Amino acid sequence: MLRALFLGLGGVFLAQAVFVSAAVAEVPLGDPAAGRKAAGMCRTCHGIDGFAKIPIAPHIGGEPAPYLVHQLIAFRNGTRTHEMMSVVAKSLTDQAIVDLAAWYASQKAVASLPAGVSEDAAPEACAACHGAEGLSQMEDVPNLAGETTMYIDTQLKAFRNGKRSHEIMSEISAELSSDQIRSLAEWYAAVNLEIKPPE
Amino acid sequence: MRKFLLATASVIVGAALAQTAAVAQAPVPDNLEKLSNFQSTGTTEFTFVEQSGDYADGIKKNLERVKMPPGFKIGLYAVVPDARHMAVGPQGVVVFVGTRKDKVWSVTDRNKDRVADEVKDFAPSLKFAIPNGPCFSKDGFLYIAEQNRVLVYPAAEFFYESPDVAAFNVVKQGELIPADQESYNHTARVCKIGPDGKIYISLGQPFNVAPKENLETNTKWGIGGIIRMKTDGTDREVFTYGVRNSVGHDFDPKTGDLWFTDNQVDGMGDDIPPGEINHQTAMGQHFGHPWYGGGSVRTTEYAGEEVPVDVVMPAAEQVAHAADLGMSFYSGKMFPEKYNNAIFSAQHGSWNRTTPVGARVMVTFIDDEGNAKTEPFAEGWIDENDEYLGRPVDVATLRDGSILVSDDLAGAIYRIWYEGN
Repeated sequence: MLRALFLGLGGVFLAQAVFVSAAVAEVPLGDPAAGRKAAGMCRTCHGIDGFAKIPIAPHIGGEPAPYLVHQLIAFRNGTRTHEMMSVVAKSLTDQAIVDLAAWYASQKAVASLPAGVSEDAAPEACAACHGAEGLSQMEDVPNLAGETTMYIDTQLKAFRNGKRSHEIMSEISAELSSDQIRSLAEWYAAVNLEIKPPE
Repeated sequence: MRKFLLATASVIVGAALAQTAAVAQAPVPDNLEKLSNFQSTGTTEFTFVEQSGDYADGIKKNLERVKMPPGFKIGLYAVVPDARHMAVGPQGVVVFVGTRKDKVWSVTDRNKDRVADEVKDFAPSLKFAIPNGPCFSKDGFLYIAEQNRVLVYPAAEFFYESPDVAAFNVVKQGELIPADQESYNHTARVCKIGPDGKIYISLGQPFNVAPKENLETNTKWGIGGIIRMKTDGTDREVFTYGVRNSVGHDFDPKTGDLWFTDNQVDGMGDDIPPGEINHQTAMGQHFGHPWYGGGSVRTTEYAGEEVPVDVVMPAAEQVAHAADLGMSFYSGKMFPEKYNNAIFSAQHGSWNRTTPVGARVMVTFIDDEGNAKTEPFAEGWIDENDEYLGRPVDVATLRDGSILVSDDLAGAIYRIWYEGN
């Protein structure tokens, strides 16, 4: 049932993904060193290397820069809201945003499935963009590897009820039951994530 | 044992009624139904947490920096990943520890050397969602407040040794708050059983400042407040209004009054608004949010507006942004006399202040007129580089009168005891 739904949607979101990638190509490059300095305000929750220190915060080390830029802009202009991030993003200049994104994107996210788990069992709809191990397969897509179950669960529900909106995710999540959301979240939460410094 | 069976029976009746009402709805998404009927679910695997080795040694080393008044000592009680609020079993066998993830930990000190011997997950066959808040009734019923559900586990100190525990709904999934109000932040619920035998549950509101369009819903459900109900889930009412995000409360053993911490508005500057410890003297009192951002500081969003309610100001203002979380009245016999009936509370530490503050245990003394004064009790979890070595979350008293402090950054529980000089 879940599988059929995902296969059906596959064509739609691949077509849209091409469009999204074209749109994000215009984001200017930031300076990772300047971003590292500015990341003092991020590190209590996200860690200086982007491995989160608190469960409500996602791991952002090794995330694609365009995704980070878009989320920070969305928090700044209010299209995405979060009690803490809305406060932080309000103070960020365009330059600070690209610098922060460059710093965190310069880290390397390494993911591995738990022992005995085959990537063939990965949720198909998610894996096309987020990878079987939860590493982003395209520019405007976040890593999911090792995020807490509840982070992924609440994000999918936020897409489902319209609090967060994205042309692909809103559509996918609309069809998911709470049980399905939970099991997708558990798949990616179980992945082991390491964040390594840039080489 | 007989007393337990009788007590359980009334819960079963309650649960059975609740289930009848739920027949037309979707099936319970995990195995709660089976557990409510005392059936085995087939889940047999516990996750055990290693209690010795490099990780534990690293934590012990950090504790050498912690400063306390003379005569007090601190030690590592247990390694507990993501440790949040704690409930000490009335038999003194086990401490249950909530997390903001999907696990509850049971922490056992079998040989009573005041260091835990075993830490394993509680009820691994159940799916938890942000099970931050465990609390015990005096007769051994464990309650756990989650994101949008409250369950009761009768005789948890007995059943926790098996992966299958007896579990019943107090508040069914989706009925604590409306599903469209669910969030991850400000969703660390805490509960305590009051002197009236009812369960009191905090419900944080998820915004920095509650928006106008939410106020009606918030008032109706007690979001941004504290609710209470009978322990079978009936007679729910909003006990406390005007709270931003309270993550700690307790009842004064002498007066029976509710006291609670509240986390105040971000983004107004490093030094305002103050954090709060509040004292509630009657049902339905309002503590100022969203018109006040903390203490008497008005929020930007509601600046200049007439405040439509009578507001109770904090009993003790705290350092801005220090994030006062769990609190507990001290009723043990181990500490010096001056600590009797004082409040021990945990400051989690600021998250975006220019220079971090908090990450310490505070003590609040209340005089005969009810005036409260707070001072630091244990500190040293912020190092010389302004990095957190730990972030205290909650305080609970063990039966010997020592206190436990949980830390969700280090993933640990510390024990503080008094040896004198």
